[in-house]
Amino acid sequence: MGQEFSRRAVLAGLTSGAALAALPVNHAFAALDDKPFYFLTRDEARFLASFCDTLIPEDEYPSASQAGVVDFIDLQLAGPYGKGRYLYMQGPFFEGTEQQGYQVSLPPAEFIRQGIAALAEAEPRFAGGDDGLRLLVTTRLSEGSVDLGSGLPAKPLFDELWTLTNSGYFADPMYGGNKSYAGWEMVGFPGAHAYYLSFVDQHNVPYPQPPMGINHQPGRDGSMPSGLKPQEL
Amino acid sequence: MPDKTLPKTDVVIIGGGWTGLTAAYELAHEGQRCVILERGNHRHDATSFGAPEEHDELKYALRATHMMDVRKSTLTFRNDTSQRALPMRRLGSFLPGEGLGGAGIHWNGQLWRPLPSDLEMRSHYENRYGAQFIPEDLSVQDWGVTYDELEPHLDFFEKICGAAGYAGNLNGEKRAGGNVFEGPRQNEYPNPAMKQPVSSTKFGKAAERMGLNPFPFPSANVTQKYENPYGAQLHPCAYCGFCERFGCGYFAKADPIICVYDRIKEHENFEIRFQSTVMRVEKSADGRTATGVTYIDADGLEVFQPADIVCMNAYALWNVHLMLVSGLGEPYDPETRTGTVGRNYSYQTIASVDAFFEKEIITNPFMGAGALGVIVDDYNGDNFDHSDLGFVGGAYIACKQYHGRPISYQPTPEGTPRWGAEWKRAVRENYLHHADMVVHGSSMSTPGNYLDLDPTWTDAYGRPLLRMTFNFPDNDRKMAEYVTNRAVEIAQNMENVTSVASSNLAAVGSDYTVVPYQTTHNVGGAIMGTDRNTSVVNRYGQMWDHHNVFVFGACLFPQNLGYNPTGPLMGLAYWTLEHLKNDYLANPRPLMDA
Repeated sequence: MGQEFSRRAVLAGLTSGAALAALPVNHAFAALDDKPFYFLTRDEARFLASFCDTLIPEDEYPSASQAGVVDFIDLQLAGPYGKGRYLYMQGPFFEGTEQQGYQVSLPPAEFIRQGIAALAEAEPRFAGGDDGLRLLVTTRLSEGSVDLGSGLPAKPLFDELWTLTNSGYFADPMYGGNKSYAGWEMVGFPGAHAYYLSFVDQHNVPYPQPPMGINHQPGRDGSMPSGLKPQEL
Repeated sequence: MPDKTLPKTDVVIIGGGWTGLTAAYELAHEGQRCVILERGNHRHDATSFGAPEEHDELKYALRATHMMDVRKSTLTFRNDTSQRALPMRRLGSFLPGEGLGGAGIHWNGQLWRPLPSDLEMRSHYENRYGAQFIPEDLSVQDWGVTYDELEPHLDFFEKICGAAGYAGNLNGEKRAGGNVFEGPRQNEYPNPAMKQPVSSTKFGKAAERMGLNPFPFPSANVTQKYENPYGAQLHPCAYCGFCERFGCGYFAKADPIICVYDRIKEHENFEIRFQSTVMRVEKSADGRTATGVTYIDADGLEVFQPADIVCMNAYALWNVHLMLVSGLGEPYDPETRTGTVGRNYSYQTIASVDAFFEKEIITNPFMGAGALGVIVDDYNGDNFDHSDLGFVGGAYIACKQYHGRPISYQPTPEGTPRWGAEWKRAVRENYLHHADMVVHGSSMSTPGNYLDLDPTWTDAYGRPLLRMTFNFPDNDRKMAEYVTNRAVEIAQNMENVTSVASSNLAAVGSDYTVVPYQTTHNVGGAIMGTDRNTSVVNRYGQMWDHHNVFVFGACLFPQNLGYNPTGPLMGLAYWTLEHLKNDYLANPRPLMDA
């Protein structure tokens, strides 16, 4: 289930050590490279890397997967969020209106697992596919116009994945995404060490401090401490 | 039969938030033995809300871990009675609290007073515009209490919070720079107004040029070292941008823990029990009084706590739920329009307006505070002539700078895709160059919007969930559109603005939804008044049907005004407590003739 391959290799779609060595050293997964995913299978991780990078592609700033978003999602799905800690899950379950919100009978991790499987079956060329195909499939999913089978509504699946991807790009890097403050550097958010009493009324002055996360130590990038378990997040 | 019955106490208080802790403070000092039952846990600003750990957007803003646990209890929701209500399975539109301080620890600190006309809404509109003016499908009522009666209590609560602002009406004298539409204040704000960033400064200048009356947001984010009347020490706000949805580890946002709890927790007449969830209020054999409450304690035991007085201080919605599951009062029936419990539930209309600046304007949105901004109140309440508008009510327009937390703060110009390359570029290019405006409006009550019990789903204790039936009435949609258009005009008049976008959650054709966050301003359902046929409690907050039950909070509002509820509901709490202490205790009885 993925343990025998490094994350870097899985997400780059590679299996040989030689090809792996060609990846840049500061790749988003370098720090976690020798650890297995907590929840995702290799196929799921590959699918998510393609999907997340369609939502947040690479430009002058890293793509979602380059910023560690797949790691972030892996940890979220393995932890309280994925298990339904933030949901009322008593049945019966009925299809509702958009105004009534999440009515899926599965907790998010299982919903996403089954949703990815159904989508990968419907669109087998999605992971690693060309940009045009990925944009088309993602757009149709976001509009709810993909039939994934009963109990797997398309639009809620898109909403869940988009919220996760967006959160992973911008949440504190101790959660595994926002690698090297990619998201915070991009917009100019200085982070968690926030005290602006003497600065707030200085108008049109760029704030000089670089981003610092909750877990920030001088010279480090605020990423998660090694050995952290998903249940601690 | 309960697992155990405790010795009787003078007063049992359901809920340890702003109103519950305040009731305990005031009544304990009157010699009453008070027991608070709080369903959540102990927590404290010093130990629970410290930076930088508290500044975790994912944990507190998205996962809402300071708020109520929906696994145990939620409500069901539908837009109208033709639909099947379904459980609100995830928090969204509003965020009720849980634990010491309740929702009072994660508020923004926007501290308002009602307008005098807000409190006499039906008679005010009928006097000014004629008896037929209020649309027939609205069940708008007077509150039964006047601004002059509440003023000393509103004033006192501002002192408890160390409120920051600038009075616009000091003993009848109108003062430019404050809210010239407000009712007369006997005192200036205890603390000076907040500093302003560039976004709200530009908004204020544009509004002034247009002949409007901008003023700084009235704020419970404290602006200097301050001691409140209970002896609590508060500190100046750091503008850290982690306010709403977060507790304040800087001791700078007034909250019930530091402002009230710390000053009463050692008192001999005070006791609070955590992880104690009240199941029902028990009634006497003749039904005319309550005998106490039954709750599940931290060990899972069912406990009966007898009391002479029951104070209901849960969140607005859960006060109504507790009345319904306890058989207090008569449930409202929308078919026959009889009964009162659950009647006149209403909410708040919210629209947003975004202005995008040229790149030399750098707003630094992360330097924010919960009540940081500039307000235009010219289109709120009845501050403007409604004769030809075809609606009642209004909204304030705020140019606010609450936060720049990057998952939630991603302003993009109109026409930007929701994701992908173009979206990513727009987020990057606009984050530091955006002014954030909200149109925060009233919401009128109607016979068809109400609360009752759900026939299908239950909470973790087997009680039926509360069922909410709600949609915005046409009146509110017209109002929200009118004031949103005024806000857009101001935005277009701001200097250095390149484009303006707006989004109205109460727009014509869009149904109320429980998904996106709007406000935690659920009001009504156990409303106050002077006629027992149209209100649950009398003008003192005392239940008509059970005279030793006193009810607190926004569930008392007959309809929602254009302001945030904490100021008005705390004014009402002190008003109720004054009559409880000075009249009821010596002679327990109905304080008004039915």
